[in-house]
This record gives sequence, C-alpha cells and structure tokens, in this order.
Amino acid sequence: MLRLWPLRQVAKVQNVLGGLTQIATKSTQPAPAPELVEVFIDDKQVFVEPGTTVLQACAVAGVEIPRFCYHDRLSIAGNCRMCLVEVERSPKPVASCAMPVMKGMKVKTDSPMTRKAREGVMEFLLMNHPLDCPICDQGGECDLQDQSMAFGSDRSRFTDNAFTGKRAVEDKNIGPLIKTIMTRCIQCTRCIRFASEIAGVDDLGTSGRGTDMQVGTYVEKMFKSELSGNVIDLCPVGALTSKPYAFTARPWEIRKVESIDVMDAVGSNIVVGMRTNEVMRVLPRVNEDINEEWISDKTRFAYDGLKRQRLTTPFINVDGQLVPTDWETAFVKVAEKVKKVDPKLIAGVAGSTADAEAMVCLKDMINRLGGELLCTEDSFPLNRSGIDFRSNYIFNTTIGGIEQADVVLLIGTNPRLEAPLINARIRKTWIHSEVCVGVLGAPVDLSYEYQYLGDSFIVLKDLAAGTHPMCKALASANKPMIILGTDCLQGTENGVIYNAVKDIAERLRKNLKHKDWKIFNLLQKNASQVGALDLGYQPGVSGLKALQAELIFLLGADAGTVSKDKINPSSSVIYIGHHGDYGAQIADVVLPAAAYTEKDAIYVNTEGRVQLARQAVNPPGMARHDWKIIRALSEILGVALPYDKLADVRARLGEISPTFDQPGQVNESGFEAQAYQLQTEIKDPIVNVNTAISPTMLKLKDFYMTDPISRASLTMAKCIQACKESEKNPYSKQEAKA
Amino acid sequence: MATNRLVQQGVKQVKPLLSLDRTEARRRVLNLYKAWYRQIPYTVNAFYIPVTVKQGREKLRELFMKNKHVTDIRAIDMLVIKGQMDLVETANIWKQRNHVMMFFKDTVNPKPTDFLSKFYEGND
Amino acid sequence: MASIIKVIGNVRRIISHNNGIIGSFLKMFRHDDLKWGTLVGEDKYGNKYYENNYYFFGKNRWVSYPQSSGFDFDASEIPPEWHRWMHYMTDDPPTKVPLPQRKWMADHTMNLTGTSREYVPYSTTRPKIQSWVPPKSSD
Repeated sequence: MLRLWPLRQVAKVQNVLGGLTQIATKSTQPAPAPELVEVFIDDKQVFVEPGTTVLQACAVAGVEIPRFCYHDRLSIAGNCRMCLVEVERSPKPVASCAMPVMKGMKVKTDSPMTRKAREGVMEFLLMNHPLDCPICDQGGECDLQDQSMAFGSDRSRFTDNAFTGKRAVEDKNIGPLIKTIMTRCIQCTRCIRFASEIAGVDDLGTSGRGTDMQVGTYVEKMFKSELSGNVIDLCPVGALTSKPYAFTARPWEIRKVESIDVMDAVGSNIVVGMRTNEVMRVLPRVNEDINEEWISDKTRFAYDGLKRQRLTTPFINVDGQLVPTDWETAFVKVAEKVKKVDPKLIAGVAGSTADAEAMVCLKDMINRLGGELLCTEDSFPLNRSGIDFRSNYIFNTTIGGIEQADVVLLIGTNPRLEAPLINARIRKTWIHSEVCVGVLGAPVDLSYEYQYLGDSFIVLKDLAAGTHPMCKALASANKPMIILGTDCLQGTENGVIYNAVKDIAERLRKNLKHKDWKIFNLLQKNASQVGALDLGYQPGVSGLKALQAELIFLLGADAGTVSKDKINPSSSVIYIGHHGDYGAQIADVVLPAAAYTEKDAIYVNTEGRVQLARQAVNPPGMARHDWKIIRALSEILGVALPYDKLADVRARLGEISPTFDQPGQVNESGFEAQAYQLQTEIKDPIVNVNTAISPTMLKLKDFYMTDPISRASLTMAKCIQACKESEKNPYSKQEAKA
Repeated sequence: MATNRLVQQGVKQVKPLLSLDRTEARRRVLNLYKAWYRQIPYTVNAFYIPVTVKQGREKLRELFMKNKHVTDIRAIDMLVIKGQMDLVETANIWKQRNHVMMFFKDTVNPKPTDFLSKFYEGND
Repeated sequence: MASIIKVIGNVRRIISHNNGIIGSFLKMFRHDDLKWGTLVGEDKYGNKYYENNYYFFGKNRWVSYPQSSGFDFDASEIPPEWHRWMHYMTDDPPTKVPLPQRKWMADHTMNLTGTSREYVPYSTTRPKIQSWVPPKSSD
C-alpha cells in the first residue's frame, strides 16, 4: 500500500491540472487478480502476491524477521539493516523489508550468513546505544533489548580503547507529552515517517550525516499534533517515551485491562495499564475497524485527570454550601426533593461520558416516577424524522468504510480535533487513493489538502439545489461521503441546516451505483450520544426550559449546557458523576460515581458500534458504579428497578435495542428513503441562516480539554500552555486563521 | 455368575462407620451430648470465657439441633466422630480461648444480601 | 520478745513517717505498700525519693508520686537523673551529684501512651486520588 506514496504526488499534480471531476470520474474497475509468486522461505514454499516484500513473505511463512525501521503502517525506509537475510544467488545479504519478492526466490532466514549479518548490525547499534536499560522507561518493552537477546551476539568487540565515550546527543524539547533521550536513538526514522505520513505534520526530520545524524525538529519547537503520542509506541528504543509516565511504573508490574475510550465518540480501543488500583497509563489496542493502532493524545494522556477533582463522597447542599455526607443522608435528601415536586416535572440529562447501563437505569427510574423528559447535552434537530431512524444520527459509512470513499464532503466539522482517528483515516484515504475532500465550515488545518467551499449557509443551499460546482464531483462520485458535524446543529436553525444536508445526501443516494453504500454521516462528539439516542433520550436540553422542570438529574452532564440561568431557577439539581465540574457546582445533591476506567460499561461510538469498557480500578472513596447508584436510589424512592445485577441491566438494554446484544459490531442502518420522506412531509419555511456553519474547535489548543476528565488533567493543561507558547514561536507552523 | 454378582450388588450394604442401625447411632449421639453437657462447666471455668454454663449448654443444644435433619447413619456417625474430636481438644485444653468462643461467632458480621445493604457496604 | 519490740518499733516509725494512722491508711490505699525511710530528695515534678537500707536491695529505694498524679501514676514520671539512682546505676542521687545541664536537654515528659495525649501515627504519603472540594459559597 505504501508503494503508492509517490503516486500521490503525481495525483496531486493531476488534481491541479485536471480539476476535481476528472479524478472523481476515474474508473475504479478492479484490476484482474495478479498471479501469485512462488517463493521459498527456509525451503518452505509459500505463494504471495507480486510486490510483497521478502519480510512480509517470511511473515506468511511464519518466520518473523527482526526489524527496527520497518512498520506495517509506515512507508519503507530500509535503513536499520536489522532485517538482513540471505537470498540464494545474491552476493550480499539483502534488507528484506525493502526487497520485493521475485519468482522462485530462495530466502534463508537462519543461515550462518544471516545470523552473522544480524549480529554485526546489532553490534553496531549497541556500540552507540547507552547501556542505561535499568533507568530507561522502555526497559522491558524495548525492541532493542528483546532483539539483542534473540538475535544479537553474546559479546562485543567494542572496547572503547581510547576512552572517547559513546556517541552522545543532546535531548530535545518537543512538548509536554514526549520525553526525548536522543542518545538512545537508533535513527530508525519511524517517528519521522509517522509524523509526515499519518499525523500529517512535517515537524520531525533528521539533520547531519553519519555519526552526527540527529532526529529532531532542527529548531526547538513543539511537536504539534493531536496524534503525537503514538511515536512513543512506535519508537523501538527508549528515545521517545511518555513524559507524564516517566519513571512511574515498569511494564511487568502493570496489569493490562482492555477497555474503550470515552474522550470522543470514536470509541478507540485502549489498554488501561493498572498498578495498585491506579491507572498508570493508557495505550492503544489494535482494532482495524476503528483506531487501527493509534490513539489521540487526549485518550492517551488525560488519564491523570482521573486522579484529580474526583468526587469521593456524597454531598448535600446545606444553606447554599455543599457539605460531605454519607449515602443514606444523600438518598433521603433526594427522596425529600422527589416527594415535593410533581412527578411530571422530573427530568434527566445524560452527559458526554455516561454509559448505556446508567442511562437506561435513569430513564427507567424517571419514567417509573412519572417523568418523561430525558435528554442529552448535544442538540440535534427534532423537527423532522429526527432520531426515529438510526441512520439519521450515526456515522453510517463506518470508519473503515472511509477508505473506499472517493469524494468526502465535510460540513461544519473539524474532524481533526473532534475525532482525530477519523481524520487520520481520511488522511490515509487521501494518501492512498485519489479522494477529493471538500470542506464547508471553517478553513482549518486538516493535515490534507481539501477544496474550501466557504462557511455560509448559501453554499449549503447551493449544494442542496445542485448549482454549486462541487455538486458535479459529488454526483459523479462512486462512493461519496457527507460528514456532518454536530457543532453546527446546536443553534435554533439546526433543522434547516440538517435538512439541506439531507437533501444533498438523498439526491446522491438516488443516483448511486452501489446501492448499499451509505452517504450520510453524522460525526458525534460525545461518547454517550448515540447510546442515549438509541435508548430514547431526546437530544438537547431545550426541553428543560419548556417543561419548567422542578427536579433535574444530571448524569455526568458537565458541558455547561445545564446552568442555573437556563433552567427554572427554583429547580433542584441532583448530580451523579465522577468529577467536580460544572454539574456538581450547581447541584443540590452530589452522588459520586465511577469514571470510565472504573466500571464495566457499554458505550456506543459514532458508528453505532456497541463496545464494552472493562473495569480497571475501583471507584475512589465512597464512589459507586453509576447504575448501582440509580438502582439503589430507585429503591429509596419506592420505584425499585427490577434488576440487581449488571447482566440484568444489559438484558434490559437488549430489550430496548438488540444492537446492545452485539458488542463490537456495526449494524447497518437502513430506511434512508423512509427517513427522508418523513422529513419532506412536513415543509419548513426555507429561512436563510445568517450564522456561519462552523465547528467550535478550530485550533489544537481547543482539542485538549473537552470533558470533565481532560479538564481535570494537568497534562492537558500543560499541552494548552505549550500550544499557546508555540504560537509565539516564529519557527512553529502557524495554524490557519479561523 | 453374572446374576449372582448383580444380586450381590443389589443387596450390598454400605460399610458402616460405627453404628449398624439407627438405635445405635442415636445412642452414640446421646452419649456425645451427655459428655459435652458434663464437660461444659469445666470448659467455662478452664478457659475463663465470658459465657455462663447455661449459655454454653444452650449453645450445645443449638449446635446439636442444627444437624437434626441428618438421617444417614454414616453421616451421623461422622458428625459424632467430629464432635468427639472437638470434645477431646476442648477437654485437654489443646484449644485456646478464641477457638472455644468461635462456637458463639460473636464477632462475625453477617454479609448483607439485599441490593441496598450491599450498596451501602461498598463496592461488592 | 525482742522481735515483737522490733516490730512495734517499726510500726511506730512507719506510722510517724506516713503522717499518722490516717496518713498511713491513705498511703497504703494509694501505694499498696508502707515503708519508712529517709527522704533523699525531691525533683521539680514533685516526686519524692526515699531510701532505707533496712529493706533488702531492690526494695530499699522508692518513690512517692505527687498527689497531682492521683491514682494513675506511672513509673515513667521519674525523670532520667533520678531514674539512674532508682535503678542503682549510681549510688549518688542528683541532689549530691547533679547532672550537667545542657541547653539541648528537653524537659522530661512521661510516657503518654494510653492517655488522650498519646502519639497516633499517621500516613505521610500523598493520597492517590485528590478529592474535589466544593467551592465556598460567597453569601
């Protein structure tokens, strides 16, 4: 796949010359299947596709070749020389990662020549690598350590007779997330390739030659990317390590719990590293359908927010001051408040990190009490078919599906900051295919080239009417995609924008050649949103004001959408959540709950994929699991919910929506035509929207603090500080003015 | 031959532990009870436990009645054997005070069973 | 006969030493012991130290705690300079050979274990989780 890298440059030239339509109309007829090539790996016959590298062929044969610079998802550099193997009738050992297979090639991966080559390379590498493994954070998970044990020699000829010392390189400061110990660098250039290929930031590079070669930014500046943390995983040695994690734990002490991230709606698969009931770090877990093997910096580094500003005891409001109390008192206080109000005026609001179990419990409890209003924080137009059809509010194409798209239209969204991994997927598609991207919204830096269409509603209306030049490209596309952000749907005119986008999607859908291809995508920002809508929550908190709700349950609602001036001033607020943030400050009763690493919970990502997060540590202090709090409270209120165990709650979830019974899968949504017809039945007067269609997150510094966990995180605060400083740095690339 | 073996198996008695019939088992139980009953004043005195002789005898009765549903002679015999062992250990002061007090379970907090109590108690 | 006289003489000395019959009775009640001897000295805390070599070694030196200690007196009320005399480390009481006073010497305190002022160890490690403290209301 990475062979196509130079082709991209050609395509770019064509793009400039021929315009958009030419590319979009290019035939995507699959090439006839090429004949397989027969190669022999250690006399074992395997058949691989032509163009495969020797290293990949070896992997097919079940032989793993040691490597440092080669990585599946990056382009081939071939500079570490660790993957040398002997090929018959070749005078020298060849670098298997860069050598394509040839017919009848006979590869010897364990011959004396191969072994000698490896030992020689390893000896050279270790000659200039410090022996500081005992104080190195990579120790225990270091490729150099492992491979020197497996493939290196047991002695070295390096004696340093002149006592000149090993090569030493000055450490670089590339921001608050990545710690560099450049003496340990073996110049595999993985980080450089990651930065320029995946992250799309050409910040890293090499300077100097030979022994003076250094990896770095040349001038001191921040490695300014939302995916920067991934170079820590990529670095085969301890040259790039995590700054917040430095010297805190060793990999063999850490228990690894496979979980799900809730910082954005992508639902990245993560591994939570736990030691002594404390989250030590967060690492990515491979899931080709979602995050491949990357995670965003917020996912990776916001975990220290789990240890600050935590609610560890219930609070009740006594004379305007929250005072700590015990569970019984807090429950009694809630019961008093519930008794006082009309049950119809009880409402619930689910926040951005609420799990499905808690949401269904809250909904069931409030419904049993007699209340009907349950809503989420993010607004969504309800004036048409709204949330009746799942295809209206999920990312229908799926994240993996982006790679097949040939035209992508982004409306009112900045995927780079709202969902960095979806942006990385679009960038991957942009590199490997000839996808054309159009952006309607703010002219932000998306790390790939796009056609900017403006940010006014008139452009959207033109697109809907089919008079815009972009419409030609869209209409001739085989697999067009429209990604609508939620930021532009927060206003009162959201229905008009939404309808216009739906009009574009419907017109494209009617003329689509691939009938099962999904065009319309909604890019959610909150991890809880799709799950909440699946469970029948109403989007947006406008209902609270309309109902004049007297008693409001906040389930981790911390975005500030519920505040004293936006609700009935006489209403009481009961906050169930894990951080002392906006919600807890306006609450009359605060019930401490568990954060996402502290509970077994179900989250539904923006694709509608149900995923299970696993409990890594215990909730702190007197905090309890969210659903248990609501279950216990319901008993106090006399409307005991009929489930005592997590399995029972999940069975209840399955009753409401069968998708909850199928974790890890995306259920294809349908009924686009019906959803659209329902929309058109009620005619809206076409109004002109004067406000610009624009996402709220424009610059990298907006990315770091979006939810209570990341707002409590010191690391994230440092990132914002560093971003602000880098704006003053004349050598730092300035982000586009918004 | 085969039928013979089958008949043998059919009428085969399980090997008794001590008693051959219910009467004998009952006698053994009563003997053990009496032995314990007579030992209790000495036990209370020797171990210096905060229990009166009357309380001790009530506990003895309670512990015996706990197994009154047992009808299997072998099971009864095994319980008698264990009770006998316990008695010997108590009488010879091989036990310590706390071992005797363990009969009374005065420091054991029963685990909550309903959801709300479990919730107040802690995280599972 | 002689022994009877000796006993009577001892009883008389004890009674006179302990301020009469009532005094002896109170002394017996408080200290569970009645002795007579010479007052060797008194420290600044009010402890009185006696000696009488008529009693056998180990019983011939004793202390009488001040009334302020009540019935709850403790052997650790004896300051170190008297401690060495009481424990036969030396035969010279601090009244005869006073201990050199250094400026770093702290005042003696009894062992406070078991009292309300006892030392209770506490954790000095930082808590893993920092709890939220609700903001103080302005009104």
